Formats: sequence, C-alpha cells, structure tokens
Amino acid sequence: MSLRKSLAPVAAFALIGIALTGCGAAADASTAIANEATITLYTSEPQEKIDAVVSAFNVDHPEITVEVFRAGTGDLTARIESERVSGDVQADILLAADAGTFERYKTDDLLLAYSPADVESLDQDVVDPDGFYVGTRIIPTVIAYNTNLVTAPPTSWQDLTDASYAGTITMPNPDVSGAAAYNAAVWSDSAELGDTWLQELAANQPIIAESNGPVSQAVASGTSSVGIVVDYLARELKSAGSPIDLVYPSEGVPYVSQPVGIFASTDEQAASEAFVDFLVSEAGQTLAVSQSYLPVRSDVGTPDGAPSMDDITIITPDLTVISEIQAAAVARFNELFQ
Amino acid sequence: MSSSSKLLHQGPVEIDRARRAARPSRGVRVDGVDAVRVALWCVVTAVILLPLGALLVLAFSQNRLPLLLTGDVAQAGLNSVVSASVSALFAVVIGTAIALLLDRSDLPGRRVLRLFALSPLLVPPFVGAIAWIGIIGPAAPVNALWTHWFGSPLWNIYGGDGVVFLLTVHSYPVAYIIIAAALRRVPSDLEQAARIGGASAGRAVRHITVPLLRPAFLSAFTLIAVSNLADFGIPAIIGLPERYVTLSTLVYRYIQSGTVADPLQVVATVGAILMLGAVVAMIVDVLAARSNWELDASASPTQLLQLGRWRVATTAITWGGLLALTVLPLLALVSQALLPAPGIPLTWQNLTLDNLKRATTSPSALAGAGNSVMLSVFAGVICTVLGLAIGTLVTRTRARSNGMLRAVAMLPQALPGLVIAVSWLIIAPRIGLFNTPWLILCAYVMAFIALVVQSVSAPLRSTPLAAEEAARASGASRLRALLDISWRMAIPAAIAGGTLVVLTAVRELTISVLLLAPGAQTLGVTIFNLQQAGSYNAASALSLVVTVLGLAGLGLTARQSRR
Repeated sequence: MSLRKSLAPVAAFALIGIALTGCGAAADASTAIANEATITLYTSEPQEKIDAVVSAFNVDHPEITVEVFRAGTGDLTARIESERVSGDVQADILLAADAGTFERYKTDDLLLAYSPADVESLDQDVVDPDGFYVGTRIIPTVIAYNTNLVTAPPTSWQDLTDASYAGTITMPNPDVSGAAAYNAAVWSDSAELGDTWLQELAANQPIIAESNGPVSQAVASGTSSVGIVVDYLARELKSAGSPIDLVYPSEGVPYVSQPVGIFASTDEQAASEAFVDFLVSEAGQTLAVSQSYLPVRSDVGTPDGAPSMDDITIITPDLTVISEIQAAAVARFNELFQ
Repeated sequence: MSSSSKLLHQGPVEIDRARRAARPSRGVRVDGVDAVRVALWCVVTAVILLPLGALLVLAFSQNRLPLLLTGDVAQAGLNSVVSASVSALFAVVIGTAIALLLDRSDLPGRRVLRLFALSPLLVPPFVGAIAWIGIIGPAAPVNALWTHWFGSPLWNIYGGDGVVFLLTVHSYPVAYIIIAAALRRVPSDLEQAARIGGASAGRAVRHITVPLLRPAFLSAFTLIAVSNLADFGIPAIIGLPERYVTLSTLVYRYIQSGTVADPLQVVATVGAILMLGAVVAMIVDVLAARSNWELDASASPTQLLQLGRWRVATTAITWGGLLALTVLPLLALVSQALLPAPGIPLTWQNLTLDNLKRATTSPSALAGAGNSVMLSVFAGVICTVLGLAIGTLVTRTRARSNGMLRAVAMLPQALPGLVIAVSWLIIAPRIGLFNTPWLILCAYVMAFIALVVQSVSAPLRSTPLAAEEAARASGASRLRALLDISWRMAIPAAIAGGTLVVLTAVRELTISVLLLAPGAQTLGVTIFNLQQAGSYNAASALSLVVTVLGLAGLGLTARQSRR
C-alpha cells in the first residue's frame, strides 16, 4: 500500500514532465530545432557569467544541454591541441579570448563557417570577414587603481614607466590569459609604445599574477596600488563597493572580442549554431551588458559606469600581423618580465 | 612491465597447484576460493599494476633525465624536496610536543585540546590555504594592522615559507597520531625509575622517552614527507603567486598549458622518480618497523608529567596555538564569505549572505557537488567490495601469493596522488576513457582501496580462525566458509573503511584537477577554479560550506560509530 502511495506523486510528476516537454517541443518547432542535443562549450568566461548565459539560453532552448568546460585561454588551446593529436576536438564550440587563436584554427581548417543571424547589426570590427568566427564582447585592457592608495591616477600607458610606480603594478601572465597574450603583441607592434616601452615598464618590476581575476583582486584589496587588467572586472568590483577605479589610457586601449566559433568536427551543428546566434542576439548582448561587458551591438546600451564607445580610443591593429607576431611577443614579454 | 606480467601468471599457477593437490582425493573441482583469488588478481592488475606499468614504460622509453636535471624541473624538484622534508620535520617536532603535552602531562583541558589538535586533518589542505590567505595574506587583517602600526607588513604567506607553514599545519595531526600511539606503548615505569634515580622530569623525558620514540619519529617523518612531496592544493594556491613552483604544480602547468614539448613523457618521468622515492620511503618504514623493540606493557597507571611552575605558561601557549590553528581559519573563511568584494572594510553593515547564497545555488557548484558525490559514492562502494574481498582473502586463507596481493593493494597508498593521476592519464586514450568522469573514478578506486583493505584486515587478524574451521568441519566449502563467516565478520569494518573512502574522495583535488574533463568537474576543482580566477569571496563561501558540512558529517559518523 505504502509503495503505491509513494509512487503516485512520482507518476504525476512524470506525466507533467512528459506534458511539458511535449509543449516545449511543440512551441520550439516553429522557431528552432526541437531535437534534444548536448553541446560541449570550451570557454574562458568566468564561471558565474557563463552559467548565467547558459541558463538564459536554456529559456529559449530547453532541449539543448550545454556542457561547459571553463579554463584559461592558454589551457584551452593546449587541451584542443592534445585532443587534435589523439583524435577529434571534444568541443563543439570555443568561446575564448582573442581573434589570433581563431585565425590560427581557421588556417588549420578546424572551424566551421557560420555567420550568425543578424550579423549585419554587429560591430563589423569583430566579425571575421571569412565568416568563421564572430566577437561577442568588447573587452579592453585598462589601468585600474586602488582609490585608497592612489590620489593622482596614471592617465596613459607611458605614465606607468615613471619610477614612482616601481613595485606597485600587477599584471596578468600571457601564458594563461589570452587577453594578456594579445596585449603583449599589440604593445610591441605599436609605433608609440613598442619594445622600448615594454623595457621601461619591466624596469618597474611589475608583479605577474596568473590571470586577470587575481590582478583585479590585488588592486581592490590594496595589495597592489595599480593593475593592468580587463575593464569589466574592475568595473564589477567598483559597483560591488571595492575601492577601485579605472582609466582608459590616452594612447588607446587594446581589446579582445571573446570570439565564438564552431568546430568543424561538431556532431551538433544546428544546436551549436543556435547557441552562437543567442550570444550575439539582442537578448544575449543585453545579458552581456548586465554582466559589465561592453557589447558588440549598438542597440543594447553600455554597462553602468562605462564610458560610451565613442569616448574610448581603441587600438585596432591588423589581426593577421598580430596573430603572426603573438608567440614571439609573448616570449619577449616572458624574457623581460619573468 | 615485466613485473606485472609475472604477477599475471601467479593466479593461474595457484589454480594449477590447487587442482593438482585436489585431484587425487576429490577429483576435478575448481575451488571457489581460488577462482575468487584469480578474479581479484585480475582486478588489481587492471586497476593498479597496469597504469603504473604504463607510467614506467613511458618514463623509461626515452631518456629524459638530462631535461630533468636542468632548469625548471630541477628547481621544482628541489622546492618539492625542501618543502616536504622541512614541513615533515616541523610536523614531527610539533606532533611530539603535542603528544607529550596532551597524553603525558597534567595540562588542563587535554580532552578538548585533543579535538582541536586533530581538526586540521578534517579540512582539505586547499581549503586551509584559502582560509590562511584570509588571515595573513598581503591584504589580510593581520598584515593590514601591522602595516598600520609599524609601516610594513608582518609576513606574506605567499611563497616557499608559506607553503612549508601550511604543509606543516595540515600534517602535524598525522605525526601526533603516530607518535601518540607509540607513546602509549612506552611504559611510564622507565621514566619513574629515572625520576627515582634523581633525574628531573624534563631530563627523564629527554633521555628515556624520546629515544624510545625514535622509530615512530622516522615513520611519521617518511609518511608525511612523501605525502607532502606531491600535495597540489597548497603549493598551487600559496606558492604559484610568488613563482614558487613544486613538482605537482609544474606537472599541472605542463599538462594544462602544454608549455613543454611532449608533456606526458616528461610528466611520466617525474612521476616515475616520485614513485621510486615513495617505494624507498616504504622500505625505510618497513625496516624501521622491524627494528622496533617490544616493551612489556606496564601494569601501573601512567604517571603524568608534572609541569609545575611552567604549567601556566605552557597552558597559555598550547591553548593559544591550537585555537589559532583551528578557529582562526574558520573565522577567516566566514569573514571572507560574508564580505561582498575585496577591499571593503569588515563592519556589520557591509556583511551580506549573497556569496553564500550564490555558492550554494550556482549551477557550477551544484554540478561539482553532484559529480563529487557520485564519484566518491561509486568509489566507496567499489572499494568496499574489493577491499572486503582482498582483506578477508589475505587474512583468512593461506596462500603464498597473499602477501603479494596485499602489498599490491596497499602500494597506491604510499604513492603521491600525482603519480596515480598521471598514470591514468597515460592509459586513458587506450582504454577509451579519455575525457570522461570514469577516469577519475578509476583513479579514486586505485588511490583509496588501501583504506578498506587496511580497515578490514586489522580486526580480522586478531580473531582466531575457529569459526571458519567449524564451518568447514560441518561441511561448508572453502568459499562458503569465507563468504558466510569471514565476510560477514568483516562487513562492519569494510563499511567503515568505505565511508572513509567517500569522505576522502568527496573533497579530493590533486587527482581530479589533473584528470579534469568536460562535465567531470568535482567540488574541489570548482573551488580551486574560483580561487584561480580571482573570485576569492566566492571560493571562501564554497569552502566554508564544504568545511562545515564535512565537520558535521564526520561528527555524525564518529557519534554513530561510538554507539
């Protein structure tokens, strides 16, 4: 008797479940794929942010399960490399730091050509003209400072070479952070800054933290008074109440666009395309803005406290040059700073 | 490899012998016990010998020693050896002092202090590291106050000295347990004789008790040094920010970031060397145990060491020290978990439960907890069954291969988790488990099976074989007697061992971080990733939840088993 009693609610739940999936599938059939699918996403997004993205995506696409594997860009590329050696890449989608990495995969024929729906309303600087990947956020690297420790903040990259900043700067490790690796290439390629500036900066002996997260923490907690770090982390801590503020240096800021691309080896092309569509859609970009990111479309506003895109000088180098010199630039950086 | 193939043959040889012995009297019949033995040999070969063999083969297939002797690897090796041996030395010194004070002196509150002294054992080392950063990290209260008063920070926990400090904190309880057990066997008659002969209390301890404890010192030192040699959490969280690289963090970097050509082979060589070190330590330990002398148990009650005029000072120092080691980290975790962001002063208005709420509801934390619980429960069940079978077989039957089977099952316990993880990583693609959570499960089973074998064989060894003999005399087969009598007797011990496996595996980090795969992120890895990504408040919140649940769980288990 008791067994039957305890089974009743289970059966009821099962019925409701079946009914709901039925409805969901029926509603979806008109808009997108109704098939159950599981896609694997390799990403360098912070865990909390990508969790929010996936749950927002699942509101529209409950039938697609997104399995997230999060690591630094350096770790992801190493993983992809070792998977290529032993077979196929395990991921369906890569959402990680810099266009250079995607340029390399494009040349190696690892990527599937796909232009998301609505691609024409995106910032064309972050869209691959060949249609293999598309940027999803504008992530500039800026100077952050602790407002308790610094009264006259630096305003340019050049300022950081001043001897008064010796031992007070923290910056991320380009072996781990894709943005840092990209920055190293942009800085050394810049006519204004170049190798001379890197040498002068190295003379101030900056502390090299593992990735951008620990840099922002070091500045916010006051361990370090100045940090070279991606803007959204500093902005987020500022709005959470930390004594931190940020400066967009006058020479211009290098930025990465956190591109997304689909691997050619995917078994779930339709589901992967739906996820890419969502990332750059109005809903996806509104979510990005609420996560403190600068968006890649102009119709969703900018995060609280962020300057308008027109007020920031942005360095937009030739990506083919950057992806060619990046490895050498990172090696030079490590030689100078570590 | 040759050794494993030799062992493979050992099973069939056993069967042949049993058959030959049985044939003349009872005709052809394969004995069930022999079948079980063969099956167990197959399992330990697959789960223990095969991966280790693959590691050795890969390590010695190409001479990588020149690479190991130069640059990064040599430096990391040196750091590992120094941090492991210095921390083991400190742990033994502190463990001895605590054992003498808590088990042999008239210090007030010894019973409560014993619980405090053992508590670091219950906190995963990487959680301890996160907590201590909150106490004496560069921006933590102690250094902030010190800078305020004296103009410069007191001590920065990051770097080699911090690694040694934390390894010591997390390993002195093991030293205390080993030394206290040895101390219980030293009769106080000897000390009393010395006191009667005119020696002071301190002199009697120094010249009588401490020399008798020497084998225990050696065994505690080797055990701790080997396990600290390959700890991952502490050097990764405390050492890396100051570029203090040890072998385990170097291996992690090599595997994760591919900063070296052919990382698996380099890593295999490092693993093989660590394995040799562990085997040498095991031999040292066995030799030390052999030279141990038996002392007659004392009939007189233990005479407590009178602390006399030192009593007040010693009491203050012991209480203060142990409270600082246990309560401070917990407070630090609480305060970091309750603050919304770094750099915000610790005041009542600023406290928030947001971090804790997010830590307990975020999908990644829940997925991590789910994976950890699933993997550790599976590992617990498998280890319980296998450990029960191996433990009863080697203690309740007679066969020449028993000693060998037991040694193979116990071997992984002496190996650093790093070696176990790397060896599974090597064979993963060949057995089709690459990038799956089952790889972690295999490694857990290999790493923790010894816990059950140990807990099963200890009580069985002290009970006579009479019950099995009675069963056999009443006509039961050997297998039947083994199943009905020995297994039944050992089941409570096996379940206790299995519970220990679950509790150890559920907060494991070293193995799961190296065998990380999409969809197989464990709780330990989730916390570690939050910390690495710089979400210190979130990492602390999750650590706090894990610590409190762990302490509660262990407390409940302890209470249950006491009943």
